[in-house]
Amino acid sequence: MDNGMEGMLDTYLFETNSLLDQLDEMLVKDEKIGDFSSDDVNEIFRIMHTIKGSSAMMEFGSLASIAHHIEDLFFYIRDKGIDSLDPEHKKELFNLMFRSEDSLRGQVEKVENGEALDTDMDSFAAEINQFLKKISGAASEETGGAASQTGGGQESAPDSLTPAENLPADDKAICYLHVFLDEGIGMENLRAFMIINSMKECEVDFRYYPSDMDSNPDTCAVIIEEGFYLSFDNAEMAAKAEDLLKSQGHIRSYELIMAPEPEPEAPKSTDAKSSSAGTTPAPAPERKETPQKAPAGTPVKQNLISVNLTKLNDLMDIVGEIVITESMVTSCPELDQLNRDSYDNFMKSARQLRKLTDDLQDLAMSLRMVPISGVFQKMNRIVRDMKQKLGKDVRLTLIGEDTEVDKTIVDSIQDPIMHMVRNSMDHGIEDTADERIAVGKNPQGEIVLSATHTSNEVIISIADDGKGMNPDKILAKAREKGLLVKPENEYTKKEALGLIMLPGFSTNQTVTEFSGRGVGMDVVKKNVESVGGVVSLTSEEGQGTTFSIKIPLTLSIMDGMKVTVGRSIFTIPIANIRQSFKITADEIIYDENGNEMVERIGGFYPIVRLHQFYNIDTEVTHLEEGILIWVETSDHSFCLFVDDLIGEQQVVVKPFPAFLNCFELKNYGIGGCSILGDGNICIILDIPSLHTATLEGF
Amino acid sequence: MSEQTTPKEEILETPEIDEMSTVERCLTFQSGDLILYISTRHVIEIINNYSITNLPLVPPYIKGFINLRGQVLPVVDIQMRMGKSETESGNETCIIVLDIDSVSLGIIVDSVRQVIDIDLKNVRPIPLKRQQTLLDGMVTMEDGSVFMSVDCQALAKAQY
Repeated sequence: MDNGMEGMLDTYLFETNSLLDQLDEMLVKDEKIGDFSSDDVNEIFRIMHTIKGSSAMMEFGSLASIAHHIEDLFFYIRDKGIDSLDPEHKKELFNLMFRSEDSLRGQVEKVENGEALDTDMDSFAAEINQFLKKISGAASEETGGAASQTGGGQESAPDSLTPAENLPADDKAICYLHVFLDEGIGMENLRAFMIINSMKECEVDFRYYPSDMDSNPDTCAVIIEEGFYLSFDNAEMAAKAEDLLKSQGHIRSYELIMAPEPEPEAPKSTDAKSSSAGTTPAPAPERKETPQKAPAGTPVKQNLISVNLTKLNDLMDIVGEIVITESMVTSCPELDQLNRDSYDNFMKSARQLRKLTDDLQDLAMSLRMVPISGVFQKMNRIVRDMKQKLGKDVRLTLIGEDTEVDKTIVDSIQDPIMHMVRNSMDHGIEDTADERIAVGKNPQGEIVLSATHTSNEVIISIADDGKGMNPDKILAKAREKGLLVKPENEYTKKEALGLIMLPGFSTNQTVTEFSGRGVGMDVVKKNVESVGGVVSLTSEEGQGTTFSIKIPLTLSIMDGMKVTVGRSIFTIPIANIRQSFKITADEIIYDENGNEMVERIGGFYPIVRLHQFYNIDTEVTHLEEGILIWVETSDHSFCLFVDDLIGEQQVVVKPFPAFLNCFELKNYGIGGCSILGDGNICIILDIPSLHTATLEGF
Repeated sequence: MSEQTTPKEEILETPEIDEMSTVERCLTFQSGDLILYISTRHVIEIINNYSITNLPLVPPYIKGFINLRGQVLPVVDIQMRMGKSETESGNETCIIVLDIDSVSLGIIVDSVRQVIDIDLKNVRPIPLKRQQTLLDGMVTMEDGSVFMSVDCQALAKAQY
């Protein structure tokens, strides 16, 4: 595939996916009300039309075919008005739509993965047609033959391609060919005219609209937008013309349309047409639904553009460089040689520059932030599906969907959240409404999915009001699986609940379709930890369970404490630091091997001398001369001995150069590096691995 | 006379044009008493104003990092990499920034000389093959000086 095609494919996937997301959102919302609003019917019709068009252009037949059938269906619904459907049909329609959405997504996924598409979509298409027949049959009964007026040609709507078009008035014509030209070829009206001329030469008898295309340049725009029409008096001619069209260049697509009888549903447009019948048909300035090429989203969406993520990363890098270079310029030693006035002037401009670069940095940072609503919306769908399969009545409440998080984090927390929502649905909420009524709860269960910001963390919580967890049961189960590491009665409630996040733990005896087979919570924990987050849970038996995920706002920026050891600068993540203090010689306690320890708040903690471990020359070798930093990770706590504290600073975490990968420095407490404001490089310590490297070997 | 030389030149030039691939543009530089060269395909830039941050726990030939416009770049003393003493810092000492199969690193050298075309056909293997860890060829220039080729793959692979 050449580059142009690939770019087009990217655009296609982005567009189609966002349309499907839009559709999903709409369906879930409408299903809650139990009805489609007429706006949404129009919107779904437009979405399907766009998907059909672009899929056909990319030659993804199966996608185009599904979208096409749904478009037909919604054309009918739009025509009749959604109210003509009885509730039973609506319910069926929702299910059908969700299934179509899934199959469209399935196909799109295949496109993404470069797999071959399903070629046989007939059974699904037939299903849609059947439904269309059913509702059209029902509608005709109800409205007393109103539908029958649409005429024989219209009855077989699925066969004729799109009867949705605004056909030019032509009394005699029995069928039309609706032709679209390739995009961007220029002088569309003349090209259309050339095609028509060459067809006339082949003794095909037809009329064409707009009929003034050869003389009126304004028709150019009309042809681009709406294509042009050829009208035929008999089907033979049309078939002949169709063959000829195939041999013509620059034709994007064409459709054969049977001439409808006047449609009572659209009297306005029909009137307008018949009044102008006989004269030149006006090139349709009516309010007709122009099949739009651009994704006809809500007006808000027009303000968005999609940008390649690597470009944003590059931007971040450059902004980082600018900030660093700026401080290099303003702290340049030669500035001292300036006289007082010019120095003041310089500093004035420098301050201005500092402010601008700070703003720029904030802005660049915010570009990578996306609202979490995309992930949350998907949960709506999961809850809906599971509700039906499990027969539980549950509503999902979303709070704080607008919360913005770094793009990489959004991508990596989707699966954990999905898993936890499933868990809550499957195990959290009581199996039957009776059970809930018996304990005096609302028969409808509730899952609350919320996201909030603190200054540098996002907290996402998934709370259900189900039966909660019993710590004793969990302990018993853990014992059965041999997961306990200390006597059962020594476990606190919190520790007991934490057991469910161990690998190989599942409280459910049977494996269900939705909740996994005990690979669940530990995978969740691992995923969240991989982006620097922590999972915790609280549960009251009978009241429900709450999972909370805390994740740093961005992966790339971290609060750190700078310390010196000899000439090296290290950064310790603030999150790991408990305290820093000086000690006197008599506070040091030695064990039988001479290892140093110190007592703090009732506990004994080993001391790790960074200069010894990293073999750095320093003058500060006596513990009382330097500073001890008490650090802790989730399960360990110890003290680091360093020369001095420099101060707290936000640092941008840079990946370690690939060249050094073979030394596995990550296993020796070196988590990454960062560039400081003065251009120097500091090393970021990774406390858990530092603990493993220094203390666990003994 | 001139009629004789013209065809001669043509004969000389034709194989060069046909087999352009055997001629590489190479950057030559001085490291200790050796003149080394490396293909310009791998050379990104040459910098001479730098401050190196030390890195613990790595072999001494890895001098540490430099901050190359926001990118953290590891720096290797090429003389120490060949098992000799440290490169002494002088006026012409500089860092050549390399990109070898998307592994970025800098090498400290005594001085950079020039960019020349070297015909790979003229490159001979080094006789004492087993003693070489970093060099993989040598070539004699017209003026009689001998240049040695740096094995980029070996350079890009850090080892203890």
